[in-house]
Amino acid sequence: MKGLRLAVLLGLICFGGTPASAQDVRITETMAEASFVVNGQTFTISRNQDQSAVLTGDFAKTSRACPQFCIHPMQAAPGVTTVGELELIDFLQTKVTAGDGLLIDSRLPDFYLSGTIPGAVNVPFSTLDATNPYRADILKALGAVEIGGGFDFTNVVDLMLFCNGPWCDQSPRAIRFLIDAGYPADHLFYYRGGMQDWLLLGLQTHVPGSNG
Amino acid sequence: MIRIVSALFAFAVLLCGWIIFQPFAPITPSDVDVTRGETDLMLNAPGLPALVDAEVPAQDFVETASNGLPDLSNATVAPVSMESSAADLILAASGDLAARAQTLKTDETTIAATTAGILAGLGIQIDAPAPVTDPNDPLFAQTQAALTGIQAITGIAPVAAAPAAPADGLQTIVAQALKEGQSDAYIDALLNEAAAAGQVSVPEMLVTSEGKVDTAVLLASIVSQAQIAAGGAAPVAPEIVGGEGVEVRIVQRANETEQYQFYTVGPGDSLGAIAVKFYGSVEHFPVIFDANKQILSSPDRIQTGQRLVIPQLG
Repeated sequence: MKGLRLAVLLGLICFGGTPASAQDVRITETMAEASFVVNGQTFTISRNQDQSAVLTGDFAKTSRACPQFCIHPMQAAPGVTTVGELELIDFLQTKVTAGDGLLIDSRLPDFYLSGTIPGAVNVPFSTLDATNPYRADILKALGAVEIGGGFDFTNVVDLMLFCNGPWCDQSPRAIRFLIDAGYPADHLFYYRGGMQDWLLLGLQTHVPGSNG
Repeated sequence: MIRIVSALFAFAVLLCGWIIFQPFAPITPSDVDVTRGETDLMLNAPGLPALVDAEVPAQDFVETASNGLPDLSNATVAPVSMESSAADLILAASGDLAARAQTLKTDETTIAATTAGILAGLGIQIDAPAPVTDPNDPLFAQTQAALTGIQAITGIAPVAAAPAAPADGLQTIVAQALKEGQSDAYIDALLNEAAAAGQVSVPEMLVTSEGKVDTAVLLASIVSQAQIAAGGAAPVAPEIVGGEGVEVRIVQRANETEQYQFYTVGPGDSLGAIAVKFYGSVEHFPVIFDANKQILSSPDRIQTGQRLVIPQLG
């Protein structure tokens, strides 16, 4: 994670040193950066302006051992939409800003704390497992209403989940746990690219607890 | 002829003996020695071993029990006639049930829902009764962190479904009186007046043996839940329970020693108060109720002088 932090720091320094008018690395032709407000905090997503930057550290690795780090299919579960970076940014600017959706980092807290996608909240996949005795609290916080022995998921928020990348099984597992719990698949979205693709595109990360 | 007369005489003597030692002697609250009445109670309590049948004298009780013959599975085989007559005798001993007309409207609201409603009226939000939480459990810590993150964005507070329901009359009255800073005695009088007039319905376990509302237990529960909501510790069961009406009986059996606690209901006791006395929390009242269903038709039908089995919390 040291490498990741370094890369982020490097990206920030480069970005800070470049005049804002000369943004040659835009998100799309019409969008140089994306801003949104989550819980009173303004986030801005832009890309690393250093055109010679390359991935370093953990996310530069190409050959992690499988099993464990196996390549995941495009679809995490039936009915769950897989999205890319632009759909994720749009989700942040519309659903998350309005309080109708959450971008969920499914990784364990130490990964989340070392750098995540701006605006994401950490709901580790393990907390959504049926063996977590406190899972009901999370489901309720997501808008599920306890009825008798089960839950009514009518008014739940939309969730977009990601983890380390296409070779990471944590968000697909979290999605399966949620569906097993009864969470409607049409309220679930899977950002398969995860941190791997996010960093590959030079998109800005956020270290929780810091500003911006 | 002499043989017939002496046979008849012997039969009469046996009959008299049986009548004198008959197992259906009425019990009274002061009857604390080993009597048939108590044995009957134990026989009638579900979950306790069926120790003897109706014909075995009380003195044989421990001996029979220690033989290991009785079996839990026999508990339901208690003679029907004895069961009903024992119940009648208990009622007779504890005051005429019919004479004490039930005037209070009761409901099956849990005390948690009631107190949460009152606290909500006072502007204090409490969580649903959480499962046993272990602060050292990494899952618990992760869950709490996740909840904080989620709630910061969605603004959904984790409130139990029940307290969200509109507060009923009792909750409004108590919340209002507490806001006004009224004394416990005032709230007690107020609540009993409203309950007697049928204006509010009372959670069953808060009805005392005198047919009143056990305001003290309700208020104590509110204070304790408010403390938990403010981050205080949950109430724990008192270690040793003693005092008036409490009996501990140790039954030796072949392989094990079991301890049974009994409590004789005093005037003004509610099932909720007894649960607090033995378990530290009113929430455990169903344990006592379930163990005494043979003599309690409903949690609000508690009578002074009733001898309740107090099971150990599992």
